[in-house]
Amino acid sequence: MTEKIFFDDVSLSFGQRAIFKNVTLELRGGQIIGVTGANGSGKSTFLKLAGKIIRPDSGAVELPAEKKIAAVSPEMKIYDGLTAEENLKFFARLRGKILTAEKIFELGNRVGLNMKNFGSTRAENFSTGMLQRLKFAILLSVDADIWLLDEPTANLDDDGRKKIFAEIQAAKSDKIILLATNDNAEVEICDEIICLPL
Amino acid sequence: MTKLFACRCEQIAAIVRKDFIVGLRRKASFAAMMMFALTAVASLSLSTGGAPIDPKILAAILWVVIFFAASAGISSTFDDEAQAGTLPTLKLYADAQAILFGKMFGVFASLTALTIFIVPIFLVLFDVAVEGGLLLSTTILLGVIGLSAAGTLTAALTTSATVKGGLFPILLFPVTLPIFLPAIKLTEFAFTGAASDSSLLVVMILFDAILVTATSILYDYL
Repeated sequence: MTEKIFFDDVSLSFGQRAIFKNVTLELRGGQIIGVTGANGSGKSTFLKLAGKIIRPDSGAVELPAEKKIAAVSPEMKIYDGLTAEENLKFFARLRGKILTAEKIFELGNRVGLNMKNFGSTRAENFSTGMLQRLKFAILLSVDADIWLLDEPTANLDDDGRKKIFAEIQAAKSDKIILLATNDNAEVEICDEIICLPL
Repeated sequence: MTKLFACRCEQIAAIVRKDFIVGLRRKASFAAMMMFALTAVASLSLSTGGAPIDPKILAAILWVVIFFAASAGISSTFDDEAQAGTLPTLKLYADAQAILFGKMFGVFASLTALTIFIVPIFLVLFDVAVEGGLLLSTTILLGVIGLSAAGTLTAALTTSATVKGGLFPILLFPVTLPIFLPAIKLTEFAFTGAASDSSLLVVMILFDAILVTATSILYDYL
C-alpha cells in the first residue's frame, strides 16, 4: 500500500503554547514510522492529529479515503465492566465483524493472552500488562488500515513485547503504522523516525 | 448508502447491548432513577393523606417526577464513559451518529422501564382512576421519546462541564418544555376522561421529530 497521511500546513496550540506550527509532511504506508521526542513534545497529540481524533487549529490532515483507524494508547480505555471476550466482540462488532470462539482464541494467542483462562474475566480484574495485550488483540481484530500505537508495549514482559513486535512487523506492508515512543526497543523496529522538538 | 445504514444499525445495536450489560452490572444510574421516582411519589402521596387532588395537579406531579427521575438517570449517559476513559475509544471505533442513536435508544429503554415501574405505583398511591388508558399510554410514549432525544443531547453537551449535576436539568428543562405542556394537558384528559384535543398529540409528535432531527444534526458539531 502506498497511500499516505498528509499534514498540510498544520498548526496546533494548547493555550499559549504552540505544539505544532505550520507542519507539512507525508506519512507513507508500508513502513513503521516512529514518533519520538521528550515528554510534552506532542507525540500523542501528533498521533491524534494523524488519526483525525483531534482537529488542528489551522491547516488540514488528509487521510486515504475510507480507511479504518485503530489505536492502542494509554488514553484509550476499554470497558472494565465487560469481560475480555465481550470487549473483543464489542469492538469487532462496531467494525462489522463477528468473532467466533476460534478467532477469539487465535487473537488471544497472538498477543499472549490465554482466552480459555481469561476470556470470561472482567477487564477490571486484569493487570495493566494484560489490559495492554487485550487492547492489542482488539486492534488486530478490527482489520484497520491505519494503526496509531502510543507506547504499545508499555507494561509488557519480554514475551509480550516479542509477540507485539512480531505482529507490528508482519502488518506493516499493507498499513500506515505510527508508533509514538521513547523506548529504545520500540524505536529499533521503526523504519523511519520523526523526532519532535520540545 | 444501504451498506452504511446497515453498518450504523449494527453499531447502534452493539452499543445498546453493551450499555445494557454494563448497566445491569453497575446498576448505579438506573437504581438512582427508580429510587428517586419511588421516593418522590411515595412522599407526595403520604403528605396529601389521601385527600382528593385536582387531576391537573396530578398530571403535573406525574411529569415532574418523570422529569427529575430521568435527570438523575440520564445525565451520566456520556459522562460515565468520559470518566472511565472509554469515550475516545468508542468515538474511534464507531460512527458518531451510531453512538448518538445507540445512547438515545438506551435512554429510551431506561425511561420506558421507569414509566412502566412508576406510573402504576403513582396511580395506586394517588388513587387515580384512568378513564383514557390508550391516551395516557400514547402521551407517555411520546413524552419519553422527546425526553430521550433532548436528554441524550444535553448529556453529551454537559460531559465536559465541571458542574454537570446542576447544569443538566437547567439545560434540559427549556428544551423539553414544549413536550411537557401538551403532555400534562393530555394526561389530565386521560385522568378525567374529557374529550382530548388531538392537535396536542400532533404537537407532541412534531416536537419529537424536531428534537430527534435537531439532536442528530447538532451532535456532529460536539
